[in-house]
Amino acid sequence: MSLLRAWLAGLPAYLWSGWGAVASLLLLLAAWEGASAHYGALILPDPASTFATLHRLIDSGAAWPELAVTARRALAGLALAVATGSLLGLAAGVSMTASMMSRPLVTVLLGTPPIAWLVLAMLWFGADDGTPVFTVFIACFPIVFVGALQGARTLDHHLKDMARVFRLPLAMKLFDLYLPHVVSYLFPAWITALGTSWKVVVMAELLSSADGVGAALAVSRSHLDTAATLAWIGAVVGLLLLVEYLLLEPVKRDVERWREVGHEPA
Amino acid sequence: MSLPELKLRGVSHAYALKTVLEGIDLDLPAGRVLALVGPSGCGKTTLLHLCAGLLVLRTGAIENGFRNPAVMFQQPRLLPWKTARDNIALGLKAAGLPQAECISRAQAMGHAVGLDAAALDQFPHTLSGGMQSRAALARALVLEPDLLLMDEPFSALDIGLKAQLHRQLLDHLARRSLAVLMITHDLMEAVRLADSVLVMASDPGRIAHRIEIAAPALTRDDAFVHRTTAELLQAPAVRECFGLEAPPDAGMACEGSAAMVVRIGSAQPRGKKGFSC
Repeated sequence: MSLLRAWLAGLPAYLWSGWGAVASLLLLLAAWEGASAHYGALILPDPASTFATLHRLIDSGAAWPELAVTARRALAGLALAVATGSLLGLAAGVSMTASMMSRPLVTVLLGTPPIAWLVLAMLWFGADDGTPVFTVFIACFPIVFVGALQGARTLDHHLKDMARVFRLPLAMKLFDLYLPHVVSYLFPAWITALGTSWKVVVMAELLSSADGVGAALAVSRSHLDTAATLAWIGAVVGLLLLVEYLLLEPVKRDVERWREVGHEPA
Repeated sequence: MSLPELKLRGVSHAYALKTVLEGIDLDLPAGRVLALVGPSGCGKTTLLHLCAGLLVLRTGAIENGFRNPAVMFQQPRLLPWKTARDNIALGLKAAGLPQAECISRAQAMGHAVGLDAAALDQFPHTLSGGMQSRAALARALVLEPDLLLMDEPFSALDIGLKAQLHRQLLDHLARRSLAVLMITHDLMEAVRLADSVLVMASDPGRIAHRIEIAAPALTRDDAFVHRTTAELLQAPAVRECFGLEAPPDAGMACEGSAAMVVRIGSAQPRGKKGFSC
C-alpha cells in the first residue's frame, strides 16, 4: 500500500522529468515523416496515417484481442524464465563449482539465435501456444540466470563477516543482506528480459501462430499493407514503453533509492 | 562466579605455508582495554579475526568467557541499503528485540556518538567517512557488549575526528564495564585509550614488548600521551618492530629526546623524519 502511495506521489515529478525523452521521440517522428515524404507511402507511410490505422484497429476492436494473446504468451514465457532463471542462477552463484560449470552453458544459450530455438519449438510443440512460450522462455532464461548468478557471486565478504559477528539469524541474512543486494542485479536483468520477451514473442507468432500480433503482422505483410504493419509495430512498442516507464522504472527507483548518488561527501 | 576473561595461549596461524602469527599469549580481563600495536602486515587483523571467531583456530587455545562480544571493523561495513538508524539497530534486531525498542535505542546511541536525526535518516553512501565510523561505533556499542574487538577502527579519520570518537568511546567505557581488544598501528591512539599496550613484531607476528599504563584513560592529557608515546618509542624492541633505525644516542636518558620528539613529530609518532636528527 505504501509502495502504491509512493508510486502515485512520485508520478508527477517523474512524468515531468520525461520531457527530454518526449523531445527525442518527437525528433524520431520528424525523421520518419521526412523519410516517408522522400520514399512514398507504399514504402513508408507517414506517421499520421500509421496512427490513423492504429486508431481504426483499436476502434474496430481488432487490436485488443490480438495484443492480449501476444501479451499472455510473452508474460507466460517471461514468468517461467524469471522464476527458473532467478532460482537456478542464485543456486549456481552460491557454489563456485556450479557457477564455473554453468558459465559456458549460458554462453551457448545466449549465443544461440532465438530463431533457431523457434524452429526446434515448432517441431516440438506445433502451432499452439507452446511454441512462442517456449521460445520466449529460452531467450529470456540466460539473461535472468546471469543476473542472478552475478548477484549471488558479488556479495561482499566483508558484509558476510559483519553479518556473522552481529549474529544475524538466517531470515535476516536473507532479507537484509542477500536479497537487497541480489535484487539490485536481478531487477535490471528482469527488465532486459521483458524487452527480449516482447520482441521474441512477435517473431515466434509471425512464423508459427494463427493469432496474436505476429500473425496479424504476417497478414498485413501478405496484403502489402505497410500502414497496418507499422500500426501493429507501433502498438507493440508503445505497450512495452508504457509498461517499462510507467510501472517498472518507478518501482526500480523506489527499490534502489539507496543507490541514488547525490554526489554528496563520500 | 569469576569475571569473564579472554585468554589466548600459544596461538599460531598460517595462511598456506606463510606463518603470520606465532605463540601469542595474552589475557584480557573484564573491563580492561588492551591495545595491540604493530606495523602493517604483522598479523594483527588475523589475531582479531581469530578472537571474533571469523577464522578457524588451528594451533593454540582461545578461551573467550565473554557472553556478548561486538566487533568494529577497519571499514565501517554498513549495509548500503539501510539508513544509518537501521544499520545501528541491526544487532538489536538480530537479537530479536521489538522493532520500536530497536529504533529508540539505536536513535539514542546515534545521538550519543554525535549523529543527529537528519544523519540517522541518510543512507551510508551520503554520509562522510567520519559519520560512517560513528554509525559503526554506535552499531557495536548499542549492543551493550562486554567485549569489544576493534580493528583499526579510526585509522581513516583525521586527528580531530579521531579525538572526538576517542572521547565518545572513553565516555562509554566510563559508564559501563567493557573489555576492549583494540588493534591499531597508531602508538598514540594506543597510549591514549589502553590500559596495556602490546607491541607486535612481524614475520611471524609475535608480541615483542608490553607496557602497562596506570593512569586512568580519562585523566590522560595530550602532554601525557606524547610523553608516554615518546618513551615507548625509545624502547629498542619497539623501534625494531616498526623498522626504525636505532636512536643515535641509545644510552641517553629518555626525557630529553622525548621532548624533542613531541616538538617535532607529535602527530606522527611513526614518521622516521622526527628521529633522524
